[in-house]
Order: sequence, then C-alpha cells, then structure tokens
Amino acid sequence: MKTPYEILEVSEQATDSEIKQAYLQKVKLNPPDRDHEKFQQIHSAYETIKNLTSRENYALFNYPEADFDALLKQAFSNAQPSIMNADYFDKLLRASIDDKTFLIGNLTKTTA
Amino acid sequence: MKKKPLSTPKSSDPDTSVLESRALSKLNAGQYKEATDLYKALLKLADNAEWRQALSQCYLQRALAFSAKGMVKEALVLWENYAQNAEPPYEAHDHYISWLLQTNDMAKVKKCLGQLSAQQLDEYYPDLAALLGLLIITDKFSCKELLPKDSFFIMHLGFVEEALSAYRNNKLEDIEPALKKLPFRSAFRDFRTLIKAALLVPESAEQAQSLLAKIPAGSPYHQAGALLLAITHEGVALVNDLLQLSPPQIKIIEAAKNFNKKQIEFLDVLTKQKDRLSDKLKFNLALQYQALIGADLAQRYCHSALSNYPAGQRDFNRHFGAMDDFEAWRLKALLRERDRDFHGAEYYWQQGITVLKNQGVEGAFRIALIMRHIAAHQQSPEEAVSWLIDSLDHDQDDRESYVKILQYYERQEQETDAYKQWLDKSIKKFPGDVEILGLAIKAATRNKAFKKATQYAKALLKIDPVNTFAKQVLFTSHLAHARKLIKSKKFHLVEKEIEQAEQITISKRYQALAQLMRGFFVLVATDKKQGAELIAESVQKMHEGLVCAYFCATLEALVLDLQSALALKGLPPLAKDYLLSQQEMTQLIQLIHQYVDDNVSQAQLHKALEKVKAVIKQSIKQNYSEELLLSLCQCLERIQHFELLRACLKNNQPLWTKPIWMYYRVYAEVNGNAGKCSYMNFLRLRNSMENAQQEKDQRAVALIGKFLDQYHEARNPSGFDIFDSLFGGGIEDVDEDRLDKLFGHLPDDIYDQLAEKTVLITKKNPPERMLKILAAKYLSNNVHKMFNLVNDNTEALFAFLMLKAADDQGIDIGVTTEDIIECFQGKKATSKPASFPFF
Repeated sequence: MKTPYEILEVSEQATDSEIKQAYLQKVKLNPPDRDHEKFQQIHSAYETIKNLTSRENYALFNYPEADFDALLKQAFSNAQPSIMNADYFDKLLRASIDDKTFLIGNLTKTTA
Repeated sequence: MKKKPLSTPKSSDPDTSVLESRALSKLNAGQYKEATDLYKALLKLADNAEWRQALSQCYLQRALAFSAKGMVKEALVLWENYAQNAEPPYEAHDHYISWLLQTNDMAKVKKCLGQLSAQQLDEYYPDLAALLGLLIITDKFSCKELLPKDSFFIMHLGFVEEALSAYRNNKLEDIEPALKKLPFRSAFRDFRTLIKAALLVPESAEQAQSLLAKIPAGSPYHQAGALLLAITHEGVALVNDLLQLSPPQIKIIEAAKNFNKKQIEFLDVLTKQKDRLSDKLKFNLALQYQALIGADLAQRYCHSALSNYPAGQRDFNRHFGAMDDFEAWRLKALLRERDRDFHGAEYYWQQGITVLKNQGVEGAFRIALIMRHIAAHQQSPEEAVSWLIDSLDHDQDDRESYVKILQYYERQEQETDAYKQWLDKSIKKFPGDVEILGLAIKAATRNKAFKKATQYAKALLKIDPVNTFAKQVLFTSHLAHARKLIKSKKFHLVEKEIEQAEQITISKRYQALAQLMRGFFVLVATDKKQGAELIAESVQKMHEGLVCAYFCATLEALVLDLQSALALKGLPPLAKDYLLSQQEMTQLIQLIHQYVDDNVSQAQLHKALEKVKAVIKQSIKQNYSEELLLSLCQCLERIQHFELLRACLKNNQPLWTKPIWMYYRVYAEVNGNAGKCSYMNFLRLRNSMENAQQEKDQRAVALIGKFLDQYHEARNPSGFDIFDSLFGGGIEDVDEDRLDKLFGHLPDDIYDQLAEKTVLITKKNPPERMLKILAAKYLSNNVHKMFNLVNDNTEALFAFLMLKAADDQGIDIGVTTEDIIECFQGKKATSKPASFPFF
C-alpha cells in the first residue's frame, strides 16, 4: 500500500506548494476521464497531505496496515532487466513439458 | 463422446433376451463395467455384431474415464480392448497416442504415428498435432520422419524451425517473416503467440502479458506461457507465480529474472513456507531481508506489524532503535481505535498528550489535533464540545472547531450566554467568515436584535453579494423597522425604510411584501380606503387563494396592533363554503411556518387563524393526501393549535398506519401536555415508537421519544421498580400495598419470574390487543370492564398480567380474577370514567 507521499512522489518534507505542484502534474497525466480510479487515488492522496494540518493528522492518526505484499514487491523488483533470448526460450519450452502437456482435447473433437 | 443409446433386444431366446436387456440398460445407464461383463457373457453364447459393438463402446468409455482420472495405463489397456472389438477407423485414436507418449511406449507410438494419414494429422487430430509439434521442437521426441511428408504439419514445422533458427542466431528480423507463413489454423498457432510474446520481453511486458493471455488453457504451450508470464511479473505477482511452479522451473525464472543470491534465498524461504506465513515469520523476514526491502520500508512494515505481533517489540527496538514515549502511546491508542474501543483509546491519547506538553509549539499543535480527534469519537455532544473548547487552548486558529462549537450551542433549545460569548469570540477571530456570520445573523434575528442582524448581514453581503439569506435578513430587518416606525407613528421615516427594503432584490414575493407594508402605512397614515386596496392587491399577488390572503393580511394587522377588519376591507368576502385546494393548503402551511420562523407570537398566529378556521376545518374533509395532512399536523403541532389538530385527525383515514399518527392523536387529545396522557395512551405510544424504530422513521421516533420523556418527568417516578422495569417509566398512584396483598405471599424467585414474563407479554402485544386478551381470559370478554379497571389503576393491569404469566407457565399462585377485581374495585369507584377514543 503506497503512502500519499509515494503516490504523489514527494518527500515527507515537501511544502504545501510542492505538494500541490506534484498533484497538478499527476492529475494532468491521469485525468479522471482516462482512469477514474487512479485519479481518485491521486486526489485522495492530495487531500490527505495538502497542508500542515492534514499532514499532521495523517502522521498522528494513520495506522498503516502491515502490507507484506508491498514488502515482496520491493524485494523482488529488480533494477536489472529480465533476460529473454533463444537459450532461455528453449529452456522454458523444455521445462514446460509435464504430465498435463499430454492431456489433449476432449473426445468431441476427435474423429476416426 | 456422446454414445448412442442402443435399440431394444432382438434375441428370441428368453434367457438371452433378459441378459441382453440387462446389458443394454446398464450400457444406457453409463454403468460400463457391468455392461462389459454382461456383453462378454452374451458373446460367449453367440457372436453377435451388435453385442460386440456395444462391448467395444463399453471399453472405449471406460478408457476415457480412466484417463480423466489420470490412470493412463489402465486407459491404454481398455482402449486396446476396444480396438480389438471395433472396426477401424477407431475412435479416440489421438487420445490413445497421447497416452502412449505419456507412458513412454515409443515402439507403439512409432507404429501408430507411422499409420497416420496427412488428413488425420492436419484435420482430425489438431490437439495431437500441437502436442507432437511441441515435443519435436523441444527434442523431447524425434518423430518427424514417421509423420506423413505430405501433411501441412510437416510444412509448418519447417517454418517454425526457420523462426527458431533465426532466434538462435540472433537474426530477430527473420523471425517474423517465418512466422507469417504459418496459417491461423496451424498446429503451431500457440507457438507463434509464445515466441512473439518472448520477443517483447523485457521491454514490453504488458504487451507480452496480453499476448500470453491468448494461449488457451488446454494448449500444450500453456505451461510455457505461464513460465514466460512469471518472467514478466514483479513482486507479489511473481512470488505467487513461483509458488505454483516446480523447483527446476523456478530456477529458470530466477536466472531469467537476474535474481541475486539474497533474493533467491528469500524466495526459497517463501516457496518452502507457501501459505504458512505467520505474522511472526513475516515480521522476522522483514528484519532479515532489510537489505532487499530497504530499511525504511522494513521499519514501516515492522512498526505496523507490531499490532499483530507485539512480541516483536524487543527485536524492533534492537534493529530500529527504541520508540519514543509518545509514539508508543500513539500506537496503543490507534490499536484500541482499530478495535472500536474509543474509550480505551482516549486513555492512551491522554498519556500521549502528557508527553507532548513538554514539546513546545509543535507539541501544542499535536495536542490540539489529538483533542479534536477525541472529540470526533465522543458519543455525547457535550463531551465533544468540551474537547473542542480545550483544543482551542492549544491551537487558537482552528476555524472548524469554532464552527462546531457554535453549531452545538445553536442546536440548544435555550440560547445560553456561552453561545453569545462564543459568537462574539468567533466573529472577532473570523470577521470575514460566511458561515460564522450566518450563525451570528440567525442568533441576532432570533433575539430580535435587528440592528445587529442588519450589521452582520451587510458584512456578509460585502463578502458574498448574492447571499440570499443575508438579503432576506436585511429585508426583514428593514420591514421590522418600518413596522416599528408605523407603530410609533414616526410616519415621515417609514417610506424611506420601505424603499430600502424594495431595493433589495430577492424575489417578487418580497416586492409584494414591501408593497403590503406600504399598504398598511397608507392605511394608518393617509387614506384608509387606498391602504386597504393596496393591502388586498399585495396579499392576493403573493398567494394563490383567498384564505392565505385573509390570514396574511389579518396577521400583519395584528403585528401592527391594528384592527384586522380595516385591513381586510379591500378583499372580496370569503364564502362560507370556500374550500382550499391542495396547493392553497400547502401554501398556507408554508406561510404559517414562515411567520413562526420570523418569531411571530403564537397568540397572534392563533388569532389570525380564527378568521379562517371554519374554512380550514371544512377543507380538511376533502380527500387530501396523507402527506399533506401530515405536514398540516406538523405545522399545527408547531404552533400548538390543538383544536385544528384534532379536526385534522378526525379526517385521517383508518388505513394510514404510520406511527406518527398515534403521536398526533395523543398529542392533540392531551393538548400537548404529556402529564395528562393516560396510561393506555402511553402504552400505545410506546408501541408506536417501536414501530417507528422498525420503519426507521427517525422523526416519529424523536417526537414520540420526547413526548414519552415528558410523560415520565410529569409522572415523577417514585422508584416502583417492577413497573419501572416493566413499562420503562413511573406510574402514578402506585399502590404497593394492594399488589403486596395479592402477590406478597409468592417466593421472590417465582415473583421475579412472573414479573419478567409480564414484560414479555407487553412487548409481544400492542396495548389494545393485550387488553382484549386479558378481558377474554378473565372478564368473559368484557373489554369495557377491563378498560375501566386498568385505565387509572395501572397496577390492576400488572396484577392481571401476573395472573396471565402464572397461567401461561402453569403455576398456581392462589390469586383469582375475583381477588384482583375485589382488590381494585374501591379504587375504581373513585376513578374518572374511562375514555378510549381510539379503540
């Protein structure tokens, strides 16, 4: 689960105007008619940290749920790109063959 | 394959015929094992082609059933039995070959494949062809030479090998032309999708994912697609993918994903634990793999995970340092709130506040926020306001808190000094705040401080020039002043005041109101006739019918201390049989509400209604809608006009069963005095309140609840516990002696048991029904006698209920109906006659 700061990509020390700037930029890239859910997320993040009071309220009363998924995402998000070439493709094809592979279509398709 | 039901037996031998019939019925019922045995027995008797065909079908169906269960070897044997009894071409031959491949019986596979025709491979067995294709290109099984050279399959295999060769030689540009040669219905269709997806990785993972989604679940390439999909995934999705894979497959993905040693180790732990990841294990993994996760995220995760795994506190402190005192209290408070224990949370917040008190300005601001947060979770508005007021000691600039405090005081029935003080304080703090100015205007208007109201309204209009509320206040203020001037005969100033009111543009109705005031001014100061005409013209302009016009003109005259007859002279006479339309009645209701809002006295309103009372009563007899009559009742209740309210209730329909009707009936009957409410009506109201609660009619619940509270207050409960618990309130004239005389001999536990039961009886039955039940059971159905007995002797009702409770439970308490009647008869003689108008 991303924090509002992460959603708007601002630091926790960002000023009101920096946060607003980041919010407007995000809204420009994600207008409500394109992806309403994303827009709502951005808007809600902005409302949560838009001024000192809301930021303090967030800091005081937000109880972040322990999100193990976020942890895994971070742990297995690689800076290095994945490798895919003919060698891996061959390995992948060979490794894919198991008992299930031999289960062919149902009888309705088969004819004499 | 759907088998064809075989026809009826044809054998002439009766025994054979029975056997054949049984075999057929088993076959048609799908009981192939039994059918097989029967057909085998039949074939021992004679070689019959039909029986053999049926037997072969039994073998085939059983082979397919075994295969579906994964018992391939059994399936093979059964299929071969089928083939022995059937004539070529054989059904499910492609399945048979796939089972042979699975059992690695290469000799038979080769024999079968060698017999396949091009048509069979290309047209009849597409799934087998796809499988063979995959096995050939992965070198799992070399059978290319065995397959018909003239088949499309062999041709397409050539294109695939061309594409693969280009891929292996890194001539990516040659792949697409080779793939293009594959037609849509090729056995290598899914191979083409797969390789295209592979070419998009890693740059266009999303496109690759959408391509891979096109490979059907039954395709031999589906698993390869799943592996490639895992390579395109990150984080949780990737881990979830890997949990489904075998260790060698995971190794390939790990290598393709370029995972480092630590990641592989972490992944290894995760895949070994699978679904058994406890809070403790997750917490420890977060600590252990901080290098992968990042210290910040790990700390954040562990911090929040402490709520589910508090034993991790020491490890947390060791890794990230001890939490400060405030943070520890904060976490505890939030944990309580998460469990909806706001009272517990309040305790921890207060501990946190104690810590923050030593942290200067920043601490003070946080204290204020915490206090406001606590206020938001208070059940009682008084407590909430108290927290808000305290919060302002730590942060004086929070407008929201001021507004909430003002709103709280505004809702109080009696305006308090505290409200005035908070209004003054708020206006001083936020002189340009529209909402606060609005509240100040309302308060000033309510106190008839028109000068102050005008001042606030002008301030508000400076900020918001189109604010209708402020305009209305200003207008009303000018007219109120004009009225005052007329009354004090300072006529030279009146016209100016009316003109100022006219300059405020709100609506035509307000213009007519100004004209009405001018009419009264002319009537008093210059020309009675002209004044009356002006009055008549303006009131008719403002309203639909004559009744509203009469009411309005009369009321305005009364407010000016004038004879209403003078003001009404210009209006046409109001016919005795005049009937108000629904629209007129609605307007009259609105008009009355408006005058109440303008603080016109109830006495003046009643006096003005005198003129039109007869017409209203007459009009009510029409078929007005329930909504209209209800809103009229609401209006009449507001001005406490009980006579009209009763008239209104006489005409409501029996089918109108909304609980609020019972409230109005009782309210009108007792002239709004809850103290005069009879016990029967109390029970009726209590019943109606329960209905209102069920129907979620909050307004009715509030009104009835308030009335019942007044009822209890008026009765001044005298601590008669049984009735308190039984009926939820005090009952007048409680005579403990008489009840003691009747039930004093009962042991305490029996007495309590019966008393509890009486509560259940009263809850289960509405009052009327309950009395009818008691009358039927104990007074030979003499309901009237029962009413007379219980109307003012509420303890008599309790006595009968105790008797019924005892009878219901089969307990002989030694008390009879006669005992109860005798006990309360003396009281009855002095009672007023019973009155149950709604029964």
